[in-house]
Amino acid sequence: MSALDRAAGRNRWIDRLGWAALTLAAVVMVLPLLWTVGLSLKANGELLRDTASVFRMPYTLENYGSILARPAVFRWLANSLVVSLCTTAGVLVLSSLAGYGFARLEFPGRKWLFALVLFGLAVPEQSVIITRHQLFSALHLHNTYPGLVLPGLAAPFGVFLMTQYFKAIPAELDEAAMLDGASRRQVFWKVLLPLTLPAQATLGIFTFLSSWNDYWWPLISATRSEMFTLTVGVASSQINFAQTSGLGFLMAQAVFASAPILVVYVFFQKYIVRAVSGAAVR
Amino acid sequence: MACVRLDHLSKSFGSAAVLDNIRLDIAPGEFIAFLGPSGCGKSTLLRMIAGLETVETGQIHIGERRVDPLPPGDRGVAMVFQHYALYPHMTIFENMAFGLRNAKVPKAEIEARVAEAARILEIERLLQSKPGQLSGGQRQRVAIGRAIVKKPDLFLFDEPLSNLDAALRMRTRLELAQLRRRVQATMILVTHDQVEAMTLADRIVVMSERRIQQVGTPMEIYARPANRFVATFVGSPPMSFLDVTLDAGAGGLARATLPGGASFNTDVPLAVLPTSPTWRLGLRAEGVKVVAPGSGLINAQVEFVERLGDRTLVYLRLADGSAITAEDAGTSRAAMGDRVGLTLDGAVHLFDAEDRAHYGPAPAEGQP
Repeated sequence: MSALDRAAGRNRWIDRLGWAALTLAAVVMVLPLLWTVGLSLKANGELLRDTASVFRMPYTLENYGSILARPAVFRWLANSLVVSLCTTAGVLVLSSLAGYGFARLEFPGRKWLFALVLFGLAVPEQSVIITRHQLFSALHLHNTYPGLVLPGLAAPFGVFLMTQYFKAIPAELDEAAMLDGASRRQVFWKVLLPLTLPAQATLGIFTFLSSWNDYWWPLISATRSEMFTLTVGVASSQINFAQTSGLGFLMAQAVFASAPILVVYVFFQKYIVRAVSGAAVR
Repeated sequence: MACVRLDHLSKSFGSAAVLDNIRLDIAPGEFIAFLGPSGCGKSTLLRMIAGLETVETGQIHIGERRVDPLPPGDRGVAMVFQHYALYPHMTIFENMAFGLRNAKVPKAEIEARVAEAARILEIERLLQSKPGQLSGGQRQRVAIGRAIVKKPDLFLFDEPLSNLDAALRMRTRLELAQLRRRVQATMILVTHDQVEAMTLADRIVVMSERRIQQVGTPMEIYARPANRFVATFVGSPPMSFLDVTLDAGAGGLARATLPGGASFNTDVPLAVLPTSPTWRLGLRAEGVKVVAPGSGLINAQVEFVERLGDRTLVYLRLADGSAITAEDAGTSRAAMGDRVGLTLDGAVHLFDAEDRAHYGPAPAEGQP
C-alpha cells in the first residue's frame, strides 16, 4: 500500500467518523420530536399507566380530534398568524427603508444614529420589559394586535443586515438608473430592492420564526384568552405539567403549534440553510 | 448632436480641490478624450457633466441648455460605466428599455429602438438573457446599447475598455470607432490609456493636477506637447530630457549645447524664446538613433535593451549621468554595456525652467 493509498484510507475513515458524529447529532435532535409525535398519537389513559406504551399499538387521532373540538385553538392560531405576518412585513419594510437610508443617504448624525441602532443589538429584552409593559399599559395597547406586533418592529438586526446588503450593491447601479431618468423612489423600488431579495428572505424567515415562537411578551401583553397567541394558549392549557392527565393531548397541541413552522422550513429550506451558513450575505 | 461648453468649473471634496477653473468648448459631433493619470480629476469632470457630482462654481451647457442645475436624467446624456452597471435582475432587453420606459416612450417604439441597437451591436440573441450569463465583452456591448437606445445628445464613456483583456480591448476599440461613425452624437471618453485617446479621439484633453494641461488633436499633443507633463505622459517610451545651454546659432536659430560640449542647431528662432535660467531638450526615442561610437553627436553607454520585434528600444546613459532612450531597428545588435554613438535628428522640444515647451514656427497642415 503506497503512502497515497494510506492517506486516502485515512481520509475515508475521517469521513466515516464525521458522518457518524453527524448522524448521532441528528438522532439526538430528532428523538424528542419523534417522542412528542408518538405520544400525541396515544390515548391519554394508556399513557397514564405507562408512557412506554408509545412503542405499542393501538394508535389514535383522538387527541387531534379534541384540539379541533376546542374553538379557542383556532383563535390562537389566527392570532399567531396575524402577529407573525404583521411583524414580518413590518420588519421587512422598515429594515429595507432604514438600510437604504444608512447605506445611501448623506445626513447629519448618520454614523451616530447607526451606532445607536447597533447598540440596540446588545440590549436584552428582559432589561426593558417592565418599562415596555408600563408604556403599553398607559397607551392601552395590551390585549390588542398592535400591542403584540409593535415591540417586534424594533429590529436592529434587520436594519444592520439590510444596511450591509445595500452597501454591497455598487453605487454605479444607482447612478446608471439616475441617468436612465429614474427618480430616487424608482431607483430604490425597481433597481435596488429586487437585488436585496436574498437578504429579505433571510430576514423574513428569521423574523417569522422568532415571532411565531415568542412566548414571553405575548404572555405579558395578552391576558385575555381570545388574544392569546398559540404559544401562550397551548401553555395555558397545561396547568401543571407533571400532573397532567392529558399527556397525549398536550403533545398533540405541541405538534399542532409547530406545524406552521414545519411548513415554513420545508418551503424555505434552501434560504434557511444559506442564511445560517452566512452565504446570503455576500 | 450638441455642443458642450464647460465654463470655469471648479470642484473640491472637503478641503481637497479636485478641479480648478476648467474651461472647454466641444463642437457638435466631436469625440473628445479626457486623458490623464489617476487622481487628475478627469472622472470627476465627466461625472459633473453627467450630473452625478454637483458643480460648485461654473456652468455646464449642453447645446443651448444650461444643465448643471438639472438632474442626470434630464440632461440628454447617456453614460457607459467602467463596470458596465447593468441591472443584474433584468433581462438585456429590460436593461436597454429601462431608460425609455422611465421617459414614457411608447411600447412599440421601445421595441423598435432596442431591436435596432441590438442589431448594430450584434447582441440580438442575448436580449432575453440576464447580465450574469454574459461575457465581459458582451456586457460591454449591452452597456453601449443601453446608451444608444436613448439617442442622447452626448455620450459619456468612463474608462469603458479598462475591464477587457488586451485582445478584446483592441477589438472593442475598433468597434467603438466604427460605432462613432454610425451614431451621430458628441462623445466624451475618459481614459488613462494614451493609445485609446490617440486612436479614438478627434481632440485630446490632457489633464493633471486638477487642471487642463493641453487640448489638441492627437498629433498636436504628440508632436508639440505644451509642457513637460504632457511630453512625458503621452508617447511610449516617455520623452528623454537633457540639460542644455542655448546661444545664437546660424540664421538666428537657437543653438543647443549638450552636457558633453557637443552642440547643434535647433529649428527654434532664439528671438521667440523667453529668458530662462535653465533649458531642457526633449527627445522622442524615434529621434535618437544608435550609430558607431564616435561617429554620432554624442557617445553613450547601453544600460538596457528592450526588443519589441519590429523595433528595439535602447536605454542609454551619457557621460554626465543623464538618461536617454533611443530607437533602433528590430535587428539591432546593441547589447548591455556597449559604448555607442548617438545622432539626434527628430523634432526639437525645448522646455524652459517652468517646464513650458517652446517650438519653432508651426508646420504646414498635415506635416506635424
